[in-house]
Amino acid sequence: MGLSVSELVNAEASLISRRCWSDPGVYALEKAGIFARSWLFLGHESQIRAPGDFVQAYMCETPIIMARGEDGRVHAVVNSCTHRGLPVCRADHGNTRRFVCPYHNWSYTVAGELVAIPQESEVQHKPDKTLLGLKQVPRVESWRGLIFGSFDEQIISLEDYLGDMRFYLDAFFDRFPAGIEFMGAPHRWVLNANWKLPVENQLGDVNHGAFLHSAIIPREAQDVIEALGHSVVTTPGHGATFRLMPEDAPVDDVAWGMEAVGSILGGDEVQEYLREVQARAPQRVGRLRARMKGLTYGIYPNLSFLWSNTSFKVSHPRGPGKVEYWSWAAVPADAPDAIKKILRTNYSSFFGPAGILEQEDSEVWSQQFLGSSIDFADDRPYYYGLGLGEEQPHPDMPGLVSVTANEFYARHFFQRWRSELLAAEGAV
Amino acid sequence: MTALAVATTAQEQRDLEQFYFYEARLLDGRRYLQWLTLLCEDIAYLMPSRVNVQVNNRERGQEGMISVERELEGGETMGCPHREENYLLLTLRAERAYKVNSWSENPPARTRRIVGNIELMAREPGGDVAAWSVVSNFHLYYARPGSDNVIYSGQRRDTLVVQPEGFRIRRREIVLDYANIELPTLGLFF
Ligand code: FES
Ligand SMILES: [Fe+2]
Repeated sequence: MGLSVSELVNAEASLISRRCWSDPGVYALEKAGIFARSWLFLGHESQIRAPGDFVQAYMCETPIIMARGEDGRVHAVVNSCTHRGLPVCRADHGNTRRFVCPYHNWSYTVAGELVAIPQESEVQHKPDKTLLGLKQVPRVESWRGLIFGSFDEQIISLEDYLGDMRFYLDAFFDRFPAGIEFMGAPHRWVLNANWKLPVENQLGDVNHGAFLHSAIIPREAQDVIEALGHSVVTTPGHGATFRLMPEDAPVDDVAWGMEAVGSILGGDEVQEYLREVQARAPQRVGRLRARMKGLTYGIYPNLSFLWSNTSFKVSHPRGPGKVEYWSWAAVPADAPDAIKKILRTNYSSFFGPAGILEQEDSEVWSQQFLGSSIDFADDRPYYYGLGLGEEQPHPDMPGLVSVTANEFYARHFFQRWRSELLAAEGAV
Repeated sequence: MTALAVATTAQEQRDLEQFYFYEARLLDGRRYLQWLTLLCEDIAYLMPSRVNVQVNNRERGQEGMISVERELEGGETMGCPHREENYLLLTLRAERAYKVNSWSENPPARTRRIVGNIELMAREPGGDVAAWSVVSNFHLYYARPGSDNVIYSGQRRDTLVVQPEGFRIRRREIVLDYANIELPTLGLFF
C-alpha cells in the first residue's frame, strides 16, 4: 500500500482516494480493523427453525455454519475441519445430526463439537476431542430474528451496536405481528466490484435513481423523493432513507410494498393484504413511523435492506476486486403462501441477479471498481462533499437528518472506516 | 425429465428446429419486439434458482438422490426463483432495450445463441388448441463492453401452443447451470 490511511480519506471524508476500493493493503486492513471487530450478519432465524437445521454463511471470506443445535440454541462455527482444514459442511443448507469431514471422516455435531475420530482406535495417544471442535464464533446474538456473529469477544451488545437504527428498522419489522421470514436460499451473485460499492449504494444513494435508472424509474418517483425524502445517519456507518408521507396521504400511496411491480400486477388479494397491514401500522409502530415509506437501509459494515423491494443483502468480500453479493426475499411470516409468492417477486423482478434495476447498479459497481483501479489519477480522489455539514438533528426522529442529495451517509461511513483502519494500521 | 421424447415426424422436428433457430436469430439480432410476437399473452416465464442441496441419504443408491429437480427453487416452492414473469414484465424488458438511457445495455452486449437437443416430450391434449412440451439446451455467448465475456448454459422447458401461423410460447422454464451466479445479469431473454 503506497498511501497511509490518513491520506486515503480526508478528515471530513469529502475526498476519498480511488485506492480505497482497489488496494490489497487496504483490504488487509479492512479484515483486521472491520471484519474482525464488527457484528456481521449471518442469517435469519426462519432459516433454521428445527434442531439440526443449518445454513452456510460467511464472515468476510471465512466460511461459517449457522445451525440450530440439539439444545435449540443458535450456533455459529467456522466451516473448517480441525484436522486438515476442509469444509465439513458442503451443502448450502439442510438438516443433519453430524457433519462428517470427507477427508478422514472426523465428525462434528451441528454445534461444532468433535464427536468421532475414526483413526483414534489405532493409536495409543487419544486426542482430547473437547479441544478439537470447530472454531466457535465467540459472540452470536440476534435481534428481531436477524442473527449476527462477531469474532470480537469484547464487542458491545448487538442491540447497542444497532443503536437507533432499531427505531427505523422497527418501522418495518413491527408492522408484522409474527415478524418476517426469509424465503429459501440466498441468491448469490459474484461481481467484479469491491464489497463497499453495493453497500454504499444501498446505504443512501437514492439520487442515482432518476439518472442511472431513468429507463425504468419515472421522473415523478424522483420528484416525490426530492419532496418527501429523508436521509438519516443514526451511528456512522448505519443509515436509512425514506419518504415521510403526508398525514392525509391515501393508503395506497403509503402502504409498504404497494409500489413494487409484483404487488401492482399481483391483483386484489395482495393489494388488500397490504392495505390491511398499513391500516394496523399506526397502532403498531406509531403515527409517525406509519407514514414512513422506506427506500434504502444499511447496517455497518455490509448488511443492506430494501423496503419496497423487500430484500436483505450482504456484501461478502472476495478480495478487493470481487464480491459475492447475497440477497434474500423477506416476507411477513404470517402472510398466506399465495401472497408470499407474489411478494417475493417485488424483490426478484427488480433486484437480485435478474433484477431489471440491479442489472444497472451492478454494472456501475463494476465500472466504479475499474475507475478505482486505474493509474496516474491519484491526484483526483472522488468528491464526496455534496451537502457537507448540512445534516441536522430532528425533533421527532433519532440521528442526523438531511435531504437525500446530501452525501453525509457516505461521509459518515468513511469516517468510521477511516478510524477503524487507522486503529488497525497502528496495531500492525 | 426422464421420459423419452415422443415419436416425432421428420416434419414436426424440422418445424420445431426452425422455430427455435428463428427465435435465436431474432434475439441475437436484438429484435426483441419481434420476439415478443412469439409469446402468448398469458405466458409464464420462469427461472428457478439453484442450490447445492444436501444429499438425501434415504435415497442412496438411487438416481433420485442427486436429481436435478431437488436443486431447483422454482415457482411452486417457498424458495425464491430468479424470475417469475409475465408478458408485461417481458415487454418492459424488451422496450427498455430501445431507450437511450438503458445504461447497462448501452452500448449493447453481443450475443450468440446455440440451441440444440430439441426434443418433443409430450403432446398435451389441450381443449381447442394443441400444446406441446418441448425441451432444448442452449449455450449463450455474451460479450459485453467493459466486462468479462461469459457463457450462459442451460435448459429450456417450454410449452408451445401449435397455431396455424406457427408456434407460440405459453410457458418457459429456464434451468440455468449455475448456483453462484458468476454472470453480469440474468435479465436476458433465454
Ligand atoms: S481433514 Fe477433516 S478429517 Fe482430515
Ligand atoms: Fe440503483
